[in-house]
Amino acid sequence: MSSVFRHSDGLGLKISRVWTLAHATFTQLIRMKILFFLLFFCVLVVGSGFAFSVINPEQQLGLLKTVSLGTLQIFSLVIGIVSTALLLPKDMEDRTLYTILSKPVPRFEYLVGKLLGVLLLIGGGLIIMDLVLSVVIYARQGMVMQETLRALEFNGQASPETMERLKGIVARQGLTWEMHWAVLAIFLKAAVVTTLALVLACIASSTLFTIVVAVCAVIIGHGEHLLREFFLHPYLSGQLERFAALAFAMIFPDLSQFDIVDGVVAGESVPLSAVLDMVGLATLYVGGHLTIAHLLFVEKEL
Amino acid sequence: MSEIPPAVSVRHLSKVFKGNLVTGPFMAVKDVSFEVKVGEVYGLIGPNGSGKSTTMKVILGLLAPTKGDSSIFGKSSTDVTSRRDVGFLPENPYFYKHLTGLETLLFYGRLSGLSGANLKERAQAMLKLTGLESAADRRVGGYSKGMLQRLGLAQALVHDPRLLVLDEPTAGVDPAGSRKIRDLILEMKQRGLTVLVTSHLLEQMQEVCDRVGIMAHGKMVREGHLDALTAVENQTEITLENASEALLAQIEQLVKDSGGDTRLVSSGKPRNTLERLFLDATEDKS
Repeated sequence: MSSVFRHSDGLGLKISRVWTLAHATFTQLIRMKILFFLLFFCVLVVGSGFAFSVINPEQQLGLLKTVSLGTLQIFSLVIGIVSTALLLPKDMEDRTLYTILSKPVPRFEYLVGKLLGVLLLIGGGLIIMDLVLSVVIYARQGMVMQETLRALEFNGQASPETMERLKGIVARQGLTWEMHWAVLAIFLKAAVVTTLALVLACIASSTLFTIVVAVCAVIIGHGEHLLREFFLHPYLSGQLERFAALAFAMIFPDLSQFDIVDGVVAGESVPLSAVLDMVGLATLYVGGHLTIAHLLFVEKEL
Repeated sequence: MSEIPPAVSVRHLSKVFKGNLVTGPFMAVKDVSFEVKVGEVYGLIGPNGSGKSTTMKVILGLLAPTKGDSSIFGKSSTDVTSRRDVGFLPENPYFYKHLTGLETLLFYGRLSGLSGANLKERAQAMLKLTGLESAADRRVGGYSKGMLQRLGLAQALVHDPRLLVLDEPTAGVDPAGSRKIRDLILEMKQRGLTVLVTSHLLEQMQEVCDRVGIMAHGKMVREGHLDALTAVENQTEITLENASEALLAQIEQLVKDSGGDTRLVSSGKPRNTLERLFLDATEDKS
């Protein structure tokens, strides 16, 4: 079906209008106190990273990163799904959408504005948390160094080799660039899931539907490699199951491509090419989802 | 010289909603045609479910027509640019509760392409026009229904449109608020704006509309100038002031004596409307 809602010359994507919508969405979410609640929750979790009993310095710093980055991941996915699932139907129910779209606002701009508002919130939250986490880890690695040094000196084990080993642990598990790349990967994954939720919100008749299906998509998206294996190895299953696996693998984004947190916690390095790959893949997913959302929304009868 | 296009033109409009497997498709509007001329106030009236709101949504480009088309000042309603000249007030409007009245107007002004000092001036002017200056810095979440309605009117007017589309502008508003909105519509008319309005309050429509279209079951059943539609052709009304009983008796006798089909249908004191009584009683006399 061809689109009946045309964009005209001079009314192409206008940044100021998109920004107006994004800003309104951002402030709406801020004033709903979603961000503050989740940031408070994250700070609590980061704080709790100090509370676990640990055996060695490597474990102390690794545990802090695992808990913190894991929380940030959940926080960004929850905000992305819930905000998107809530905002679009709410605008329709409240008829705010009517007053917005009765202005010279193309529907695509409305979608981009809403999406940008949610991503600003997630991005802003992640930047703040990244800064907090960096300060905490920096402070923690200093404390761990001092405590371990004291213990080594007390036991008479402070040899140059032991000292080097300790510095190596801190260099890998302390504050590294890789940790920031992990936060970027969390943001990219959240952006992909948010745009997927936007697609769902354009066809859904209820907020609950969007949330449930988006959560299912997140679960499936993390198991894409299993689906691919299922499809590529005929001896694992029947024809029907294989094609079902292929269909799922094609519909849902491969979120495991953004899973670098475990590697970062394990002290692995993240090459720049891997980061660029993630950015490129996320751009493709976001662009694809946005295009589908637009095609659905432009035909939607309000 | 080229002919000025009508403010609104609806031609053979039909709208079918798909429905679901149980209910099947539903035809909300059937072959409706009408025009709203530049500068006039046109009332679209009809019972609930008659297709008024669907027609309005098609005019505003919120719904796509199944058949036929509609245009605003000669531009197709499906063209986003046609909305540059339109201000729309939906029935029972809600706005972002987290914004203040002023922020709301700035938001809609920006969406309409206004910016800088011009935007601020327009927003302030609209707050003044709708009597919301004192509530400009209050969150919209705390506004009464009448205030929301006036804010809705302000956002519809903020970009100085040539056409104002009002869907049940006085729904749920008390008589004083309703009167204010009606006065604003008349003021807009005097300023040369074209107004397309729907309402259930026929008495109010009668006061503001130049022409009306009556819709029922998705069809336009009557359309024309209000005077022509409402006049009882074979009756004449005379209103006298300070007439004595004797004079009234003389007039009555004169009618009887005139013979033919002429007869006095009614006589008595004209009634004040309940609305006028309400407004007189509740108006601040201080």
